[in-house]
Amino acid sequence: MTGALGRLGTVAWLSFRGSLQGLRAVGLAAFALMPALIVAAIATAHPSPAVLADAALDLLALLVLPIVAMVILLVLAVGQFRTEIDAETLVYLSDRSVDRPTLVVGKYLGAVVAALAFVLPAALLPLAVANIGGGTIYAANVIEAVAASAVLATLAYAGVFLFLGLATRSALLVGLLFGFLWEELLPLLPGDVPRFTVIFYLRSFLSDNVPNGPLAGYPGAIAAGSSVVVLVLVALVFVAVASVAFRYLETAPEKETA
Amino acid sequence: MTGVVDAETVTKRYGEVLGLNGFSATFGAGITGLVGPNGAGKSTLFRLLAGQLKPDAGRLTLLGHPSWGPGEFRRRVGYCPESPALFDWMTGNDFVTTLLRVDGFSRSEAAERSARAVAEVDLTQDGNRRLRVYSKGMRQRVKIAQCIAHDPELILLDEPLNGVDPVGRASLSALMRRLGSAGRQIIVSSHVLYEVERLTDQIVMIANGQAIAQGDLHRIRDLIDSHPHVIDLESADPRALGRALGAWDHVVSIEFPEPGRLRVLTRSPDTFYAALPELVLTEGLSVRAVRSADDNLDAVFRYLAEGRR
Repeated sequence: MTGALGRLGTVAWLSFRGSLQGLRAVGLAAFALMPALIVAAIATAHPSPAVLADAALDLLALLVLPIVAMVILLVLAVGQFRTEIDAETLVYLSDRSVDRPTLVVGKYLGAVVAALAFVLPAALLPLAVANIGGGTIYAANVIEAVAASAVLATLAYAGVFLFLGLATRSALLVGLLFGFLWEELLPLLPGDVPRFTVIFYLRSFLSDNVPNGPLAGYPGAIAAGSSVVVLVLVALVFVAVASVAFRYLETAPEKETA
Repeated sequence: MTGVVDAETVTKRYGEVLGLNGFSATFGAGITGLVGPNGAGKSTLFRLLAGQLKPDAGRLTLLGHPSWGPGEFRRRVGYCPESPALFDWMTGNDFVTTLLRVDGFSRSEAAERSARAVAEVDLTQDGNRRLRVYSKGMRQRVKIAQCIAHDPELILLDEPLNGVDPVGRASLSALMRRLGSAGRQIIVSSHVLYEVERLTDQIVMIANGQAIAQGDLHRIRDLIDSHPHVIDLESADPRALGRALGAWDHVVSIEFPEPGRLRVLTRSPDTFYAALPELVLTEGLSVRAVRSADDNLDAVFRYLAEGRR
């Protein structure tokens, strides 16, 4: 017999593999390539290397993190529970002797790793295209900060959307509202309101780590370290709440067949 | 009550709809059939037993443990749901092995148990094929494989013969009998009494979310036999199958409601179900699926249910 870690690993591996199957994965891969294609399109106009370099970084803050990463995580993390409940496949896991928090954490880890397969290329490929197309050479700390921001966005959004997948039967709709209203509109409001969004901390992290160029324009009142702590805490809190919610959740699909 | 499964006035609602309505029954050792028409509450009871649903009222225990809530005792229970849904991207072997790993078995033990369970349900040859290409019958069999692979004491089979071809039915019925005689406690649901009757004489009948009869099989049989029985079949060559079935004297009528299907009305469903596999094998006929229509059973269940009021 294997212990809790072995079971956790099996659930995570199952979720990871399941996340990368079918047309959904193809669609997400195509979606993840969009920022790189935009940079490639800009490069065809032969702008100066500096303009192309800034365009790639602008896309990171305006498109990759708040939209591309958010949508990828929405699809993958919500699917871990809500889609499986509706498809009636969750029962094969939930009727096992494995405890429910292990299932939640395993599915979270599987979703995170699967999402990174899309989000990291979405964040880094535009820089590679800027390099190839315009000869831009980014400093190592810029590339590291971009990669780290993609990982942090994945951790935080995966936690939020995993919880939504358990909390509501309309998780995709609520997730879209969260992504396109909450995360897009609140940062535009004055005062401390933007601090209630994930994207605020992601942009602060980038602003603090890449002080020159377009990313410096984002609010950097919070140090990068603090942003990391907040984003990791967001992930942990939502995964913990999801674990508690799952203990009390009925996992049969909502229909009247009896 | 001290059964393998005890239900005391269990009620489960889906909004305004009652799935179970004060259901009380005791399921003892051996094989017990849970029989009732579609919508009677069979799957609701199974979902409650599998811990997917929480009872709104009443008390439901299996192996002495409350049905709702986690626990290591789940390793002693195997559940085969009615839904044909599977992780379609996996192979049959991978599916069974992975679920064993989730249950805590080591890699080598999981592989060994999986191979054994897949062989038990006659899927060894197809074990490395993706589940998405499995037929209805193969899906039922792989669901049963995952259900028995961890060697559970209590096996819950929700409509396991639904959509399975006649030869497959005979093979799965034999498997269930083997498991029963090996000391497993099995609860098997069906809306076809004849299927269950060949497995056991312990019956719990359910209608409108309530247990309306337990055990008294002969009285129920007499009632059902007085109603002609409708059986739907799927076949690649329904005309040839119809010609062969038409020669049986207990077959009252044969209809072809749509391409690839025929509907048979028989006065002796027992004889029909017993003789069909042999006819298929000896005549080389195609039968992809056999289903018993509910109409005649509904009348009996209504009679029984009204008799209790």
